[in-house]
Amino acid sequence: MRKHPRSALTLALAAVSVIVLAACGSSSKSSSSSPATGKASGSITITYGTAPDTLDPDAFQTTQAGEADQPVYIPPYTYAETNGIAGTQIIPGLATALPQISADGKTYTFFFRKGLRYSTGQPVHTSDFLTAVERSIKIPWPLGSAFLVPLIVGAKDYESGKSNTVSGITTNDATGQVTIHLTAPYGAFENALAFQAYSPLPKGTPMKDLSSNPPPGVGPYKFSSVVPNVSYTEVKNPYWTPIPGIQSGYANQIVAKISSNTTASALSVLNNSNDVFDWADTIPPSLLPQIQSQASDRYQKLKLNSTYYFFMNQKAKPFSSMLAREAVIVGLNRPALARLGSGFFTPGCFFLPPLMVGHPPSSCPFGDPNSTGDIAKAKMLVQQSGMAGQPVTVWGEERSPRRQFVDYYTSFLNQIGFKATEKIIADATYFPTVGNLKLNAQTGFDDYNQDFPNPIDFYGLLLAGDAITPTGNLNHSQVNDPVINSKANQLGTLFKLPTSSLGSASSQWTTLDEYTAAKAYEAVFGYLEAPEFVSNRIDQSALVFQPINGYWYNTFKLK
Amino acid sequence: MAVGGSTGTELSAGVPAELLVEAAELPAGIGPYRLAWRRLSRNHGALFFGVIFLVIVVLCLLAPVYSSDIAHTGPNDNHITEQIKIGGKLTYVVSTIGLPIGPTWHSKFFLGADPNGRDIAVRLLYGGRNSLEVGAVATLITIVLAAIIGIAAGYFRGWTDGLLMRALDVIWAFPVYILGVALGVSLAISGIGPLRGNSLMVPAFVIGVVFVPYVAKPIRGQVLGLREREFIDAARVQGLSHVRIMASEIFPNIASTIIVFIPLMLANSILLEAGLSYLGAGVQPPNPSWGTMIADGVANIPAAIHLVLVPGIMLVIAVLSINVFGDGVRDALDPRAKVRIAR
Repeated sequence: MRKHPRSALTLALAAVSVIVLAACGSSSKSSSSSPATGKASGSITITYGTAPDTLDPDAFQTTQAGEADQPVYIPPYTYAETNGIAGTQIIPGLATALPQISADGKTYTFFFRKGLRYSTGQPVHTSDFLTAVERSIKIPWPLGSAFLVPLIVGAKDYESGKSNTVSGITTNDATGQVTIHLTAPYGAFENALAFQAYSPLPKGTPMKDLSSNPPPGVGPYKFSSVVPNVSYTEVKNPYWTPIPGIQSGYANQIVAKISSNTTASALSVLNNSNDVFDWADTIPPSLLPQIQSQASDRYQKLKLNSTYYFFMNQKAKPFSSMLAREAVIVGLNRPALARLGSGFFTPGCFFLPPLMVGHPPSSCPFGDPNSTGDIAKAKMLVQQSGMAGQPVTVWGEERSPRRQFVDYYTSFLNQIGFKATEKIIADATYFPTVGNLKLNAQTGFDDYNQDFPNPIDFYGLLLAGDAITPTGNLNHSQVNDPVINSKANQLGTLFKLPTSSLGSASSQWTTLDEYTAAKAYEAVFGYLEAPEFVSNRIDQSALVFQPINGYWYNTFKLK
Repeated sequence: MAVGGSTGTELSAGVPAELLVEAAELPAGIGPYRLAWRRLSRNHGALFFGVIFLVIVVLCLLAPVYSSDIAHTGPNDNHITEQIKIGGKLTYVVSTIGLPIGPTWHSKFFLGADPNGRDIAVRLLYGGRNSLEVGAVATLITIVLAAIIGIAAGYFRGWTDGLLMRALDVIWAFPVYILGVALGVSLAISGIGPLRGNSLMVPAFVIGVVFVPYVAKPIRGQVLGLREREFIDAARVQGLSHVRIMASEIFPNIASTIIVFIPLMLANSILLEAGLSYLGAGVQPPNPSWGTMIADGVANIPAAIHLVLVPGIMLVIAVLSINVFGDGVRDALDPRAKVRIAR
């Protein structure tokens, strides 16, 4: 899961954000592997409107954390450091080559590179991979319930304490060989191995979330200081062993400053006092004209694989009625929602985002998403559904523009005949709250950014019936459709369809996504675009944005 | 301090000579509240601000009339993709990049729109209703609870006093905003008993409770002094119950203190409500309040400063007017005030 949360108490964060780090110092240690061109020194500052949930590689789930951890913890597999779709291509990270997959698709074998060292200087042992996996299960890593525990043989027993190791993983320190046995074929397992949770960690690393003092990694950077919810600093890793395809980094120091005041952050980048504006934040509309006129050469929109939607709980009135759900989809004014998002949205109706394999090219089943919605028809459908006047609680987050989305949505639901009220809660607690089945949340804001470029990431977690869990549930609409379940299961577990050859299954995913849209399961309203906005000190030609974890810090380069 | 029910001997004891002179000039039989009104009526500054506050209250009460008959839109109606004519030219209420229009000075969007395309003037009046309603209910809660606790603690002393004061100390130990945010956030989800989380009574309850110690403690102090006075002993000797003594002997003697606290607490409650709403712990969206309106506008300050300026100015005027009027009330109720009273 990749959510973009924002901390709850905006004023409190604004107050602490005035603590400014010494951002101008530069380490005297310069990696010998630094590229010859450009300034291989200096400090670069990136601003974040939202703090990472944790910097521990075995505990995080947000893009902010993924971005920070990406240059510090290199997993066996990673993504090509290239902009755009090409940046979602799996390449070997700490592994020497792509894995060998057994004929039944259930056994993965690969080898670790030799001579790797942690940022502390300790050598990396192949068995450290198992340490990291066990730690991810014990902490636990929130995404482990989807991308680890059910996939690997013995992981469930280790989680429950029935065994003292994960029996499905064997490692050999002498040869560097790792063998992983899966419970069933899983087509996207290479992508799972690209999560930082699979990065090796030294034996003896405490089995607890070390957010304020993250463990050492193998990547080109290491954390040098962390002030929770305020800032963190990464510096060059003196023990970095160059790996093909992974740049050694330009800046000697990357400083991340966290402030919920995105207006001030955007202004600071405009005035060149900070260097990079976080792509997951929204540039306030009041600054966009200024940025477009004064800094058009350092501002652009980036494409993402993100779907924004309102979930509609099928297990509770009124959205147990398909007509009621259809009414929402028919009447939704998607261009209005795009405006609330400062124009960083492309209106749409299909669950899979446009850059994802399987996104239907066909027209939407309930009208043009670029229209302002058919309110009259929506009212009629609500009447026909017999749900008119039904009370609806709309759940939402505090952060802008998400709260504004929910303000609009609530007003709209009242307009078409429901009796809607809002419930806005802190960003940090929003998804755990609506993901608690006991609450049985009726409807509310939802979004999803790809973990990897495979439709099973969306369907397996957000729409499959077996993804409905008592807590931490991501299938907020509680969709449990046999057609979706069987098709997603079939397409998702095909071991011969890893990311690189997904195209062959594209038409099947398209058919499934059209089916989902026709059943009005989710009120999709658009696909997010992100702002790339940097100071005039940054060499944009070197900058790499990967549409999974965001910027590669090791491509931040001063002119 | 007014001492209704006390004797002439008590009045003169320890009172400065100049006040005795003033008292001697008073018409016979004038009561302390009539005296206070006379003093207040001569404080033109306080009266001016009192009238301003009254005007704000009346305007806010007329919000539904303005909404339905002038602006023709509700406080929560979104008009994001609608267009209106400004200077003969059709303009989007909210631009494609999300910038709302500014003041039109026409009946529709008189003070402009917010990012959701809602009429700011309509929301300002409804927000004022909510802010004033929360402030008034919170003040009522504070005053009632503080009076009961303060009188009981001061009158009974002993373990009652210890228990009540320690309970107040616990509330007092927390900074008002921290306590308000903590209570507001938690109660906004669960509500209180029959009150839903998004009810205006939730922030009113929170604010009312956090201010109790600030009023109860001074009342208790005053009651501690009063209970030793002869007229209380006389009441006890006559066989009056504790409740009756507190209600008929003590309460009238602290009534003027409570009256002085009312405008003070109203101003503070409105300010705290705005602060809590700004932080998302007060009035819950989409209900407007001046605090939520300021919070909504902060991100757009560079290009749409009216979003924070309009509710901000209203908040300042309202609080200033209550405070100045409250000062006037306090001066009027103060027997040491050197206000000449004409015959």
